[in-house]
Amino acid sequence: MKVLHIEPEKCTGCLRCEVACSYVQSGEFNPSKSVIRVSAFERGHTSFSPYTCFQCAEGWCMTACPVEAIDISAVGAKEVQDDQCVGCKLCTLACPYGTIFYDPEREKAFKCNLCGGDPQCAHACPTQAITWIEDFTQDWTGAFAAQRSAADLARIGATNGR
Amino acid sequence: MAAKRHVIVGGGTAAINAITSIREFDQGASDIVLVAEERPYSRMVLPYYLGKRISRSHVWTLSPDRLAALGVTTQIGRRATALDTAQQRVTLDNGETVDYDDLLIATGSSAVRAPVPGADLPGVHSFWTLEQADGLIAEVKAGSEVVLVGAGFISFTILNSLVKLGVRLTVIELAPTILPRMIDPNGAAIVTRWLEQHGVTVQTGVRLNAIEEVAGRKRLVLDGGGELSADVVIMATGIRPNLGWLEGAGLEMGRGILVDDHMRTSAPNVYAAGDVAEAFDRVTGQRALHAIEPAAMEHGRIAGANMAGVDRAHRGTVLMNIVDVLDLEIASFGLWDDADAESVAVEKPSQWAYRRLLWHGQGEAMTGAIIIGISEHLWATNDVGILKGLVQDGQPMGAWKRAMMDNPWELKRPFVATGHVGRLLQETVLGRPSTPADEVNAARWVSPEAAALAAQTEV
Repeated sequence: MKVLHIEPEKCTGCLRCEVACSYVQSGEFNPSKSVIRVSAFERGHTSFSPYTCFQCAEGWCMTACPVEAIDISAVGAKEVQDDQCVGCKLCTLACPYGTIFYDPEREKAFKCNLCGGDPQCAHACPTQAITWIEDFTQDWTGAFAAQRSAADLARIGATNGR
Repeated sequence: MAAKRHVIVGGGTAAINAITSIREFDQGASDIVLVAEERPYSRMVLPYYLGKRISRSHVWTLSPDRLAALGVTTQIGRRATALDTAQQRVTLDNGETVDYDDLLIATGSSAVRAPVPGADLPGVHSFWTLEQADGLIAEVKAGSEVVLVGAGFISFTILNSLVKLGVRLTVIELAPTILPRMIDPNGAAIVTRWLEQHGVTVQTGVRLNAIEEVAGRKRLVLDGGGELSADVVIMATGIRPNLGWLEGAGLEMGRGILVDDHMRTSAPNVYAAGDVAEAFDRVTGQRALHAIEPAAMEHGRIAGANMAGVDRAHRGTVLMNIVDVLDLEIASFGLWDDADAESVAVEKPSQWAYRRLLWHGQGEAMTGAIIIGISEHLWATNDVGILKGLVQDGQPMGAWKRAMMDNPWELKRPFVATGHVGRLLQETVLGRPSTPADEVNAARWVSPEAAALAAQTEV
């Protein structure tokens, strides 16, 4: 199965993935409507990583939905069916990754649906930090985040006398 | 040998998930009998039906066609009245009996009204069942004066719909603050201000003494001499598990039916799930009643697997709730109300944002959280789910704990840098990837576990 393969070392924090994602997901160039979110993992440096749904085996959003509004698509994405979703947000509560959101304008949950098999974030990424390839989903950013944030963390500890 | 007969009593979330879970594992190799008072529907979506966001037909869950495809025999419109665990027999309200090889008790809860004179007058409503929803919808009109008695979770799930229907709304609550079982007083103060700014009157610390009928309207008599008048009164004063029919059945009880990590009760071949089950809390490791939708779902699926003969233990549920009031999001997780916890609380008043993080017993694992924020701000972060992930995973945060205490607004970096994602990706409720419920039926799909079981049976 193809997955969104994330290599944070290659991410420059340019946010093109967010812009592309929001446009294909909502028709607006509006990063708050994007379902891929870029965060900094080191203060003052270019340690960024994209973060989006892992399409996890449990599918916490899918199993939490009281009206079966979340399915698995042909390309393996847990996908919200807008005509079924009532906007109760149980999925947002159940997902332990924080990768399903709620749109107060449409009153629907929304999340990464892998753009039906042609993810626009991967197209938009100028450095191949996001690629759409055969692999197993995994924690793409944990080791990177631990390494790049170590200095900040040491500083916080020192400030607190620990 | 006759096929094993599973009897499921109750038609809510726990029951439905148990049925699909049995079929996910046994490919239709057993008989399932569903005893339910009503055709299965989702209680969770009733507030949206009240608010006219969805039609009445949207509330149904397992349709007759789906039940047939799942190979379920139904006794719809029947209520169980007695259980004989020695004979393995359930008695129904029409006097018929149903024998079981194993039984799931998933009879849910009922709404409880404050025990005051006039609580049963016409025009005084509960909002819990579909019938009650229909009753309220028939009476609430734009411009109606409505008093909501009780400012708990259920009250708040219908508050949006009532305001959008154009009613004039007053909420009264006996406790000193609103949402007393979901958020702390700081959070409650923010939500109260938000409500008042949106035209909802809130009175806390108020005891209702009686409801009287006066010239076709209701008069609510309050302790201390105050009065309110209303066209419609809604009693959202709590729920109680439906356990009455089990009197004399001899099951070990606490506040609910005590179950182990396989959802087994003290009686052989009897399982319990959902609001009636006093099952393990993931954070405390102790048993508790978690009358929430995600608990009913997880309980039902675990019970179903075990009833299908596939050994599955449950790690316990995380207590959690989310509700929005007029686009202010409010959620809490785990031990958010823990007196024996180190905690940090921060507020950004101009943004209506609030957070509290709690660490039980000064430990390094986050054990509870509260989060409040305006929808458009809150959903620009990944933070709601990340709080759930932190509480669910329960890993020591090491030096990150101090960072989170210093800056509770930054959650993603501590969450990701401590390897939560990798651990959580290993976890599934049933020990295998989930199947979408609507793809499960009695014949189409064979799980590896079912194939293995079938092979064993043949030998």
